[in-house]
Amino acid sequence: MKCPRARKFLPLYVGTDLPAGKARRLEKHLRDCLPCQKEVKELRTTLESIRTIAGREIIDWPEGEWKALMARVRARRPEPPPIPVFLAVPRRTWAYGLMFILVIGVAVLISRAILSPPAAPLLSEIITVTSAPTPRAFLTESAAASKKPQDVPFSIQREKGPLERPVLAARPAPERETQDLVSMTLVSQETGLKIYWTLNKKFEWEEKKR
Amino acid sequence: MDEKEDRLIELVLSGQTEAFEPLVMPYRRLLLTLAYRLSRNVEEAKEISQETLMRAFRYLGSFDRKRSFKNWLLQIEMNVWRSLGPRASDERTLRELAVEPGPEDPEANLDRKEAREKLLSCLERLSPREKEVFLLRDIEGRTIRETAEVLGTSSISVRVHLSRARDKIRRLCKERFPELLEGHR
Repeated sequence: MKCPRARKFLPLYVGTDLPAGKARRLEKHLRDCLPCQKEVKELRTTLESIRTIAGREIIDWPEGEWKALMARVRARRPEPPPIPVFLAVPRRTWAYGLMFILVIGVAVLISRAILSPPAAPLLSEIITVTSAPTPRAFLTESAAASKKPQDVPFSIQREKGPLERPVLAARPAPERETQDLVSMTLVSQETGLKIYWTLNKKFEWEEKKR
Repeated sequence: MDEKEDRLIELVLSGQTEAFEPLVMPYRRLLLTLAYRLSRNVEEAKEISQETLMRAFRYLGSFDRKRSFKNWLLQIEMNVWRSLGPRASDERTLRELAVEPGPEDPEANLDRKEAREKLLSCLERLSPREKEVFLLRDIEGRTIRETAEVLGTSSISVRVHLSRARDKIRRLCKERFPELLEGHR
C-alpha cells in the first residue's frame, strides 16, 4: 500500500472502523512510513480532545421544565398503530363488494349474449381456374419466341355459398374433363384480408423459380 | 429491547400514560445533550428534545418492538432536527458552552473554556450529515450499523461521511489551532 491510498483509510483506522483485512495492510505500511504515522497521531489527538471536551458537555432538563413537559405529553393520546389498508375494511364489506362485482360481470355477459346481433355467416369462394385453350394466341410474337416464363391467361368461374354447405374444392371445367390449376380465396370477415391459394392438379403448391 | 421497556410501552398504549415518564427518563439527558450538540443552542435543543418526546409518545403504537428503543428515539430526534432546519450558530453558541459548571479556579476555567470553544467550533465547519455521523459515532459511541439505522442510511454512507468528518476536523485543528495539537503531544 502506498501513501495516497493509506491516507484515505487513516480516519477510519483511528476509530477502529476499518475492516480487519484493510487494517492489517495499513499497519504494514505504517511501520515504515513516518508521515502517515504523524497523521495517525494528529487524528488520534484531535479525536480524543474533542471526545473529552464533548463528553463533559452534558446538559439536563431543569426538573420543573421536565415535569411540565411530561404533563403536556400525557395530555395527548398516542395514535393507534397503523393498520394495513386491506385490514382497514371489515371482511364482510370485502365479501359484499366481491359478490357485487361478480353479479355485475355475469349480467354483462348475459346481456351481451342476448343483445348482440348474430354473426354474419362465413362465406367461401370457389374459383375454378383453367388455362385458356390456346394461350399462345394471346401472346405477341416476340413473347412467344422468348424462353422466359410468361403470364398465361386463365378463364375463371366463381361460386359463392355459406361454409356450412359441403363444397367442392375444385370441379372440372365444363369444356374439359380435367383442370390444371385451382385457386382458392380465403376472406377474413373482420379485416377483409384475402389470401389466394393456387394449386396444381396434384394439389401441390409450387414456388416460382427464376 | 429489554422487558422493562416493553412492559412500559404496553402500559402507555393501554392508556396508562404516566408510564411514559419512566420509559423515557433514562434518555432525557441523552436527547437534550445530543440536540444541544447538533444545534449549539440551549433553547433550540430544548425545542428539539421536546418535539422528539412528543412525537415518540404520539407514534409509540407504530414502534417496532424488535428494534432498540434508544435508537428509535435518536432517529426521531435526527428527523426533528432536520425538519426544524439546522440553523446557523450565532454569538450565543459559544457563550452557552458555559452551561457546564466549571472548576473552582476561574483562570483554569477560562483556559479550558477557550480550548473547548476552539475545538468545538471545528464541528461547525462540517456538513449537516458529517456532523450527525460524527456526533453519533464518535461522541455518542454508536456503532457504524446503529448510526446508519438512526440516520436511515447505509453503513457505507456512514463510513464515507465519518472519514470525511474526521479528516476535516484534523485539518481544521492543524490549520487553525496548531498549539492545541502540540499541547497534547
